[in-house]
This record gives sequence, C-alpha cells and structure tokens, in this order.
Amino acid sequence: METYEFEGKTDEDAIMAACSQLHLTRDEMDIEIIEPGSAGIFGLVGGRKAKIRVTVTPKRPEPPVEETEIPVAEDLSRPSETSESTTVVTEEFMAGEDNGGIAAAKEALENILALIPVEGTLVTAAQRDGTINLNIEGDKSGLLIGRKGRTLDALQFIVNKIVNKSLERRARVVVDSENYRERRKDFLIQMALRMGDKSKRIQKPVATNLLNPHDRRIVHLALRDDEELSTKGRGEGILKKVVIIPKKYSTSKPAKSDV
Amino acid sequence: MKDLISYIAKALVDKPEEVGVTEIEGEQTSVIELKVAKEDLGKVIGKQGRTARAMRTILSAASTKIKKRSVLEIIE
Repeated sequence: METYEFEGKTDEDAIMAACSQLHLTRDEMDIEIIEPGSAGIFGLVGGRKAKIRVTVTPKRPEPPVEETEIPVAEDLSRPSETSESTTVVTEEFMAGEDNGGIAAAKEALENILALIPVEGTLVTAAQRDGTINLNIEGDKSGLLIGRKGRTLDALQFIVNKIVNKSLERRARVVVDSENYRERRKDFLIQMALRMGDKSKRIQKPVATNLLNPHDRRIVHLALRDDEELSTKGRGEGILKKVVIIPKKYSTSKPAKSDV
Repeated sequence: MKDLISYIAKALVDKPEEVGVTEIEGEQTSVIELKVAKEDLGKVIGKQGRTARAMRTILSAASTKIKKRSVLEIIE
C-alpha cells in the first residue's frame, strides 16, 4: 500500500493531478481529503490550496484483494453476498503461494491464544490471493472479539507484524472469529445506507463515528454508486470519520460547510 | 500475563534476547513492565503507538479472562 499527497486549487484538481501522475483512475485509489481548500475572497485573498492523500493498493495478478471475502469488483451496496470462507480452504494450495507465511501466522496466533489463555479454540488457516485468513473457532464468549472488534483487530495487527517481520514478501493476515468480519461489514453497509438516506432527506452532511481504514472503505464503497451523495474522510490519524455529503449541498456551499 | 507480553515482544523485535518483562502484582491491578533494546523501542511502540495499543488491548482481554486488571508500561 502506498500513500501520496497531492495539492490543487480545489480537491477536484488535486484528484485529477493524482490520477494523471499515478496513471490510475479514481476508482483505483483511496482518496482522503486533508484540506478542502478555499478560493478566498473573490479568489484573491486568503485562498488555500486543497490537499488530498491518496492510498494506492498495489495490483496483484488476480483481482486486487483488500479483504478476501470481497472481490473488489463486486457491488458492495448489495449486502446479500455469501461468505466465501468455506470455499477458501480447498483453494489453499491452488493459490500456489509459499505456505511459510500461513504456517507462521497460524503458529503466532495459536501461541498468543494459548498465553491469554483461552482454551478450546481452534485456529483454521487458509490462503487466497496473497491474503492469509485465520479463523478462531470456539470462542463463544466473544472475549476475543472485544468491543467493536477491538481485540480481534489488535490480534490481527500483531499477527500481521509478526508474520511480515519473518517474511520477505508482505502478506496480509485477516483474523476472524464467529464470522465477525462479515457481520460487521453488513452492519456498516446498513449504517452507511441509512445515513445516506438521512443526509439526502435533511440535505446536510452526516458524519459517522470514528472508523478504522478498513471500516471506512466499506462505507465509501457502499455509497460509491449513489449519485446524489459523495463521501469523504475527515480527521487525523488512523481513526477517521466518514462524512456523507449530498452532492447538491457541496456545490451550493463549498468549503468548510461540513465542519 | 507476563509470558503473553514477553512472547509478543520477542516476536516483534530484532533482539529478542534483550527483552525483559517484569510483573509487579498488586491486589487488583498488576503492572507489567516491558523493557527492550533501545533500537527496538520503536518496534514495540509502533507508528502512533499502534503496536503498544494493540498489545494493551490483548492484555486487557487476557485480564478480563482472569478477572484482574493489568497495565502495560514500556520502560525506556
């Protein structure tokens, strides 16, 4: 994943600059507006350049994988897709990738779980398109998921770090338990659609809670095809809000109106 | 608890032999002190403290399990 920053007179200009310099289309990158930019008074005084941050996920030979269960080309606004995790196991060796990462990831997670200690859990591992999926079975209490999946995310983060330290090629590890990732995705899509409706009804921007990059991506994608809305990330650091803006609103009152 | 942090820290750093973890047990809360080689400090803290936060999250899940509170201190 690579991040670039671009400037332009407006955020549109900055995005255009990003597209032409990186030779990518808009859909291929994750755009976050750092500063919306303003024209100043009569376009003369106090004008500020718009600044955006663009994140590009490097392409793989197969369809780009951010999250294994979601083939990116698929329309995310349809929440009714079926989990592919059952088919994943059989594809484990068909992927033809080195299994060093998968063994290391499984071992690291098992070791951590044993030390917590949680008993009676089973870690199953599968690899697909360069993403290693680890599923923890048997944690009925939800202890390993935590509030809003925080513990699960922490485990995932640490396992990622451990695996990528010993590997030369970067591997992505997704840790799941009790189908949480899928449930969370459905919840986020529903929330995004609901907030989108609200935003259209009141003709004002609506902001989500602070979300991590993966969750934000789900929100952006859920509303991508809605022509009456646009979405932007707002905030600093890893956790940001997603602001859902009616298109009409942003053209009539540009800059800062959503603050 | 101590072993948990020790395992994670050792897996993250370049010099696992210099990882030291001490646990100071209190009645309700125990403090876990993590010491690593100076060059490895960044590895256990992470960008914007992300790694440290993840370790604390896992630690608090583990503490919930044994119904005790623990805090992680990274010693410079």
